[in-house]
Amino acid sequence: MMRLRPLARAVTAPNLLKHSVRCTTSVATQPEKIEVFINDKPVYVYPGTTVLQACAEGGVQIPRYCYHERLSVAGNCRMCLVEVEKSAKPVASCAMPVMKGMRVKTDSELSRKAREGVMEFLLVNHPLDCPICDQGGECDLQDQSMVFGSDRSRFTDINFAGKRAVEDKNIGPLVKTIMTRCIHCTRCIRFASEVAGVDDLGTTGRGSDMQVGTYVEKLFKSELSGNVIDLCPVGALTSKPYAFTARPWETRKIESVDVLDAVGSNIVVSTRSGEVMRILPRMNEEINEEWISDKTRFAYDGLKRQRLTFPFVKDEAGNLKKTTWEDALITASSMINNFEGNQIAGLAGGLVDAESLVSLKDLLNRLGSEALCTEEIFPMDGAGTDLRSNYLLNTGLAAIEEADLVLFIGTNPRFEAPLLNTRVRKSWINNDLEVALVGTKVDLTYDYDHLGDSTEVLKQLADGSHPFCKKLNKALRPMVVVGSTSLQRKDSQAIHNAVSTIAQTARVQSGCGEEWKVLNVLHRVASQVAALDLGYKAGVDYIRKNPPQVLFMLGADEGVLTRDDLPKDCFIIYQGHHGDKGAAMADVVFPGAAYTEKEGTYVNTEGRAQETKLAVSPPGMARDDWKIIRALSEILEKPLPYDTIQEIRSRLEDVAPHLTRYGEAEEANYFKQANELTKTIKGQLETQPLSPPLQKLEDFYMTDSISRASQTMAKCVQAVKEATKNPYM
Amino acid sequence: MSKTYKVVNGLKRAKPIMSANPSEAKARVIHLYKAWYKQIPQMVQLYKLDVTEKEAYAKLREEFAKNKHVTDLRVIDLLVVKGQLELINTVEHFNQKPHVMRFFRDTHNPRPTDFLGKFYAGHDP
Repeated sequence: MMRLRPLARAVTAPNLLKHSVRCTTSVATQPEKIEVFINDKPVYVYPGTTVLQACAEGGVQIPRYCYHERLSVAGNCRMCLVEVEKSAKPVASCAMPVMKGMRVKTDSELSRKAREGVMEFLLVNHPLDCPICDQGGECDLQDQSMVFGSDRSRFTDINFAGKRAVEDKNIGPLVKTIMTRCIHCTRCIRFASEVAGVDDLGTTGRGSDMQVGTYVEKLFKSELSGNVIDLCPVGALTSKPYAFTARPWETRKIESVDVLDAVGSNIVVSTRSGEVMRILPRMNEEINEEWISDKTRFAYDGLKRQRLTFPFVKDEAGNLKKTTWEDALITASSMINNFEGNQIAGLAGGLVDAESLVSLKDLLNRLGSEALCTEEIFPMDGAGTDLRSNYLLNTGLAAIEEADLVLFIGTNPRFEAPLLNTRVRKSWINNDLEVALVGTKVDLTYDYDHLGDSTEVLKQLADGSHPFCKKLNKALRPMVVVGSTSLQRKDSQAIHNAVSTIAQTARVQSGCGEEWKVLNVLHRVASQVAALDLGYKAGVDYIRKNPPQVLFMLGADEGVLTRDDLPKDCFIIYQGHHGDKGAAMADVVFPGAAYTEKEGTYVNTEGRAQETKLAVSPPGMARDDWKIIRALSEILEKPLPYDTIQEIRSRLEDVAPHLTRYGEAEEANYFKQANELTKTIKGQLETQPLSPPLQKLEDFYMTDSISRASQTMAKCVQAVKEATKNPYM
Repeated sequence: MSKTYKVVNGLKRAKPIMSANPSEAKARVIHLYKAWYKQIPQMVQLYKLDVTEKEAYAKLREEFAKNKHVTDLRVIDLLVVKGQLELINTVEHFNQKPHVMRFFRDTHNPRPTDFLGKFYAGHDP
């Protein structure tokens, strides 16, 4: 695969700096800033900066279509033409580096005329279908033609030949193409090949015959394909599920956080009349930059299907019957009252917020039970989850760009955390990052050193006999990332021990210092870190060993525990938002709120607490999750001491203060001690190969109760399966 | 007598507008009470109220008793004027049945204030 080095990245000064810091231990020499004049105002920038960036520094926004900060420079739309003194022609500011003493005029007669001309040419072949175009209201072409365009057109179709028309392409169930609207900025092509790492899009033809597309009709097979919709400056690429449903000026935008993977991408939820219309990314340099995965973006229709809108109680015939809250709460409490201590157990699923986790824990503790588990397994022996560094992505997502070697163990980051993978790919392109993988060979969109998938490799890496150890020990900033999926096995403790030893050896040998963290655990569900921070036991072993009489399942939908694992007369209470595996086996069902319907705290895999905001109210009789538990506690006559969200947040703060420090990643340490503690545990690695469950694109789309209920995601799975059957692709 | 004392004294004893002393105020209140009392039989008939005369008398007494703690003459006068206005509205049939029935609040459900009540009602605090 070709290693692309985007021009803009290579020449911008901050990048040069970062490079030199990483490669040399001595103090980097800072290049001297040069003076340029933007509209006669002096601006000091590093050499190599483009005119467009210098203008931005000087407070002047240059209109552009093809230029994008996170993509390579193409310079083909010509909208960013500006006049530079002593230059014969206007220059494309996005591609022109600054020179000392350059005098740029962004608002001169020549600049304005150049833009007007470009606008006129673009509009000659752009259809006038703004009233039926989904981009209307958020279209760069609309906005810029209002500001920079001419008030009349010289385009008169004297031969009635019509405007240029291009056939639409079918590139899958997510992205709708109306190619006649395309202005050939090539942002989508550059995104696909540089960020997504899928060379599916390209151009054919030239001049007015130029077309953007896939050449032969095929699926745009990427887990990040939705981002081309945001990138497209016109309405050529729009969202298929969102088509003709809402206008941007009629929606309310609520800034929230995604919970469908453990990365915690920042999102904007657009709602209208109590319904989620779409989900867009929100910029956060620390986490998702400005991209989100397709699951995050398109699984929102799952929030409207399979929802639990009423409390249910099982009748004598064994059918769940709709009922009132009073009835459901009293039925549950009268059952709970019969038992005490560890006969009552709690099981938390992957989409649960920290508020309901802490209230369930408080309630069960008050009832004398310590049996609080998570569905997701994590080794609990040795230091276990006592030391946070054992279960966090300690290095951090943004710090991947500073790393020079990443070793993935038993994970497929492309589908478990697509935005972590884009970081790795970005660093692989720009910083010559080296990547190695132990586990099933999968397509990560970049080249990597495949060390094999057997646990034997792990053993060799841990005792230093593997040839790769040399590289690992020489790396200046190594990262070892173990997927939480590989810790779901019986030998999870042994795997964690081996990984911990590999990381600790690399940390000591490479001399990266105390502040650089090597050991990383990549979680796959959003609630896990918060649950472990609050003191939940990872995995259901405890419940299996102490069969409960009452099981409270808080959003536990993965089917880790079935009726067969429990005593026959075990009473199951399920609380959650979707009618999935959990609700199917329950005796009482409490309808809860999904992540767009509540203010909830989620901690992502790096230990960063973030909060979701209420975008729409919960449907029907569904209630905020922590309030349900609080209400149940009152019926049980053991009322929990918080009535409002502020009070429960202060309770969270009492238990773990970092849970309410929103936006900040709470660091962890004591790697050495954690590693020493693991040495006392004798665990045997099993022989079965390390293979993550998400290997192909079709596995990616449906992983939790929300995305399993989503029609769009089902269509994606089907489309990918169809596409893989096609022998010509 | 210092100036400060004058000011404080003036603030404490505002000049009454209608009633000069408590007994005069009391007379106004009793006068209003009697006027309402006499009006009740006609009122129940005129508005076809869903209450008996007896209940209406009890309600009248209750409404007056609500303000029995008031000692400020100006406030008493204000309440009397309000009562007179309401009486005129009732006599002249400016009011309609629901306006009169509002005194009895038979369909009024107070919003829950406790956690469980709010939870059942679905109200956010």
